[in-house]
Amino acid sequence: MHEISIAECIIQIAVVKAREQNARSIQVIKLRLGTFTTIVSDALQFAFEICRQGTLAQDARLDIEIVPMVARCAVCETTVQPVRGICLICQQCGFPLEIVSGEELQIEYIEVDSDKEVSPWSRFQNEFQSRPVF
Amino acid sequence: MESVPERISVQTSVLNANQQTAAANRELFAGEGLLVMNLMSAPGAGKTTLLEATIKSLRGQFRVAVIEGDLQTDLDAQRIQALGVRAHQITTGTVCHLDARMVARALDKFPVNDLDLLVIENVGNLICPASFDLGESLRVVVCSVAEGPEKPKKYPVMFNKAQVVLINKIDLAEASGADLRELTKNVREVNPQATIFALSSKTGEGLDAWTNWLKQAIEVRALAAMASV
Repeated sequence: MHEISIAECIIQIAVVKAREQNARSIQVIKLRLGTFTTIVSDALQFAFEICRQGTLAQDARLDIEIVPMVARCAVCETTVQPVRGICLICQQCGFPLEIVSGEELQIEYIEVDSDKEVSPWSRFQNEFQSRPVF
Repeated sequence: MESVPERISVQTSVLNANQQTAAANRELFAGEGLLVMNLMSAPGAGKTTLLEATIKSLRGQFRVAVIEGDLQTDLDAQRIQALGVRAHQITTGTVCHLDARMVARALDKFPVNDLDLLVIENVGNLICPASFDLGESLRVVVCSVAEGPEKPKKYPVMFNKAQVVLINKIDLAEASGADLRELTKNVREVNPQATIFALSSKTGEGLDAWTNWLKQAIEVRALAAMASV
């Protein structure tokens, strides 16, 4: 159950960042999680709900984006998305595959509530920046 | 004053703090010209017995010490100390892996300036230790034949991150009906670059190939440190 350690690290990083910005609370933590890690998304959510208590992230949502594993042959440039029974030998030419993605475990951003004197212009900017990018 | 929602870019690896401590450990080890091996396996694959056999083979040629990681007890450290080798036990309580900070803390009490090889025997577990860099220069995964040939396929991250895979207990291959060729093929599939040795710590079969490889690695490491001074 190392998801507890991982959840603690996530909250620690988010809280430090939120404090730097004098945030009152953290609303969202956006995480990119590769499928070629040892972290299970559901177990991480469970651990997060336990670890966030009593922190600035007490009411935060952990938003996990799953990044699929992609491997590529450096020789024939075949690209594969291994899912189960992972084989990192190129089925086309027999050379080793390189892992292109799937090892991600990164916090992308946090969304926080801050107390601020707000000018109409900065309110416009904030709204613009906090809008999700698709 | 008004509450304003705000998005703050972070772009930080979750394991950032561990990676920084691991980098500091690694720098300390490099400064000493020390080869550090992170030894990992499932519980019962034979890490400690293999370590005992390896230590016996290095005896008189290299200075070795061991950091043992276990949830409970210092039984493994006692076994190593019985060979006349310095050993330090980290008991993690309920934590299923060692992390770089636990190793850094152990190093405060456990000097490594008089060594050629430091072995860190991780908690027996094929999942969690894979994520935590300790600052080692060599990751070695032990897998015993009786665990079944599909083990590397079931725990691909752990096997993928190893430089060396030791297939242990080959003396039991026949009795347990294990297909050694299938096991080796599966290691290759998840880690085409791994160096693989098949051996038995008990009978000593295949052990020399591994320990000769390790002796060479220790020497190369020490020479590299001398060259960089």
